[in-house]
Amino acid sequence: MMAPPKKDNVFRALDRKLGAVAEFTMRQYRTKLSTWVILGVGFIAIFIVVLFYVDSMQQEIEAIDNDGDSADWDGDGYPTGQERIYGTDPNNPDSHPGTFTPPIAPDAPEKWINEDDFDWDLTASGDTTVGYDDDGDCRLSDSTQSQKDYNRNNVECDIILNYDEMRGEWSEPYSDRLVDEDPDEEKYAKEAIHRAFLLAIGKMGFVFLLGIFLPLFLATGLIREEMDNSTIHFMLAKPIARRDIFLGRIVGYLGIVWPYIIGMGVTVGIISGFAGPGDSLFRFADLGMWMAIIFATMLATLVYGMLFCALGTLWKRGIILALPFAAWELGMAILSFNAPTSSILRFSVIGWSLNIIDAASLVVWPNMNLFISMGMWGGGHGAGGFWDNSLEGAGALSAFASDTGLGISPIATIVVSTLVLLFQAAVLWLVGSAIFKGKEIE
Amino acid sequence: MMPDLQQVGEGQTQQWAPKITAPVVLLENVSKTYGKIHALSEITLALSGGVTGILGANGAGKSTLFNLLMGKLKPSSGSIKLFGTDPWKNPAPYARVGFVPEHEKMHDWMTAHGFVSLFARLNGLTREEAKSEADRVLNFVGLTDVAHKQLGRYSKGMRQRVKIAHALVNDPELIVLDEPLQGCDPLARTTIMNVIRELGKMGRTVLVSSHILHEIERITEQIVILHNGRLLALGNLHAIREKMDNIPHTISIGCENPKELAKDIINNDAVYGISFPSGDRLQIQTHNLNAVHRELPTLIVANGHKVSSIDNPDDDLESILNYLTGGLAR
Repeated sequence: MMAPPKKDNVFRALDRKLGAVAEFTMRQYRTKLSTWVILGVGFIAIFIVVLFYVDSMQQEIEAIDNDGDSADWDGDGYPTGQERIYGTDPNNPDSHPGTFTPPIAPDAPEKWINEDDFDWDLTASGDTTVGYDDDGDCRLSDSTQSQKDYNRNNVECDIILNYDEMRGEWSEPYSDRLVDEDPDEEKYAKEAIHRAFLLAIGKMGFVFLLGIFLPLFLATGLIREEMDNSTIHFMLAKPIARRDIFLGRIVGYLGIVWPYIIGMGVTVGIISGFAGPGDSLFRFADLGMWMAIIFATMLATLVYGMLFCALGTLWKRGIILALPFAAWELGMAILSFNAPTSSILRFSVIGWSLNIIDAASLVVWPNMNLFISMGMWGGGHGAGGFWDNSLEGAGALSAFASDTGLGISPIATIVVSTLVLLFQAAVLWLVGSAIFKGKEIE
Repeated sequence: MMPDLQQVGEGQTQQWAPKITAPVVLLENVSKTYGKIHALSEITLALSGGVTGILGANGAGKSTLFNLLMGKLKPSSGSIKLFGTDPWKNPAPYARVGFVPEHEKMHDWMTAHGFVSLFARLNGLTREEAKSEADRVLNFVGLTDVAHKQLGRYSKGMRQRVKIAHALVNDPELIVLDEPLQGCDPLARTTIMNVIRELGKMGRTVLVSSHILHEIERITEQIVILHNGRLLALGNLHAIREKMDNIPHTISIGCENPKELAKDIINNDAVYGISFPSGDRLQIQTHNLNAVHRELPTLIVANGHKVSSIDNPDDDLESILNYLTGGLAR
């Protein structure tokens, strides 16, 4: 007669049983067509967005000559900007650097487009001044002292940045005339769109779409389908506690979902790393973002998995119970973009998950807020009309970027959010297995 | 439904050991009600060792009883103990229990071997131990050569045997089989009956439910009869039968020459009617089953009749129930 396992510690015995349930669940899900349909739909949804992103990265963004100095006003062949720095009269066809000895050759007009790009120190943390007048139209022109120091800080040709401690954001830059006034639209827009894409696909694509819909379809039936098929009887007749069955099923479901999320994250990360803007071939700096996106999505699928599995155990039509939760989470996701500090976000899963991504974006891209307000300022006279000087991409980025809302450092935010999500998962596991334990099954 | 948040059962962290003195199965005044419907009422039962048949018509409470034993239902009142432990609160006794559910659905995508070794691992075996254990039990039920075929391709009888095999993992002391013979072909029936008898001989406590008496009769003498959720009778099947002797019975005899046999048998006082349902079959109506059975063999041998079978085609269970309930069963 086979004796029950010898003096086996609890962990090992649990590991055997738990491992068996988890392995069984993974094999079961691999044989089901519906699993592959759901994973396939998630793949298609994400990759349609990726296609739009790759397309936008290929598009050229029109370079705008904000200050108009590429034009040759007097028809002498020299762009106005060039005439300005040599001190000749841009309005007099006889006055141009060609009359100098030795004569200076005229510049191509393109050289005077986007010639005064941002010279900003994005590591700034408090009130500071930035900017350098690359094209010299502030420093060298014969304008008056009060024009050169328009913002009256006794520094000629600079931009004042004010950090509002109370609101935790940057005030609009206060610039001297013609400093950094002709930025490189394409350079800014590509960077901004790239960041906006990462935030958008991370928050809405991964954490919301994958994070909610994979558990909704894959976790709700973890216990319920076995009960409906009455195959649960085999498992219940074995010496394994129901909470371990519950946990084992969740672990098995995660064994399918987590590798999928990691695979998707790595794939999209590689694509965006190569397609994204930058001097190097691959944007290694984004790796931190992708790690955060994958990590946040994994935690979200864990918590939602526990929740939906518990709801499925509770009622035959658990998916109906799960839908209000999904709707609530969508509302919270939208709220987190507009009001990241609302305390109601703390009563959601997605609020904490998105915190992780937002916090990571602040670590990976220091001074995200300053970068956004730089684009919103757009050189002071942009193409967007009199009131809106913003550069392309700045609006999108400011829509998808938001504060972490906890008022603590990004790293601390990640740690706290992770602990909260793990706590939520543990509570839902206890609740779910208590529901399962109290369930009479025939 | 309120979850049982108390979870008063013995902690799982301690190595569970059966209480030696406790009966394998002990039910005390167990009732299970659904609203006003009494699925089981006031069942008291103690079983240890040997094969016991649980008899009852459909809806008599057999499955409810088993579900209570297997900790899937919580008794409305009374207490259930498996090896001295309440199965609703603690799954530990199942290390010593094997259960064959009546449900037909299985994981069709698994092989028999995979299925059995999965549940062996749930008994706490390692992967390797589970594999060799699966080989052993599949051999015991005679499925070694098809062990690596998918369950979806199995016949009903083979699936039943896989279910029995999965229950025999880890050599349990108590084996509970819910309608194991239902829907099986004759060959599978014989195999399963042999397996059950074998288990009984090995000293295991076996509970088999059925609604067909002669199935049980071929396996065991010890029976529990359930009727409308009540325990109607408990004990030796023959003892119960004896008491029924003076109610009308039919005996069906398969033989080469029924008419010749009828001539010899009509002289017996206990026989009051004879009929010929087919050319090779004779039916006798009697008030005294025992008397006829006592005389039949001598009669057959003395006159040289060639008899292929003797059985009681009456729905035995129904007649027993009728007798025990005084005709209220119908």
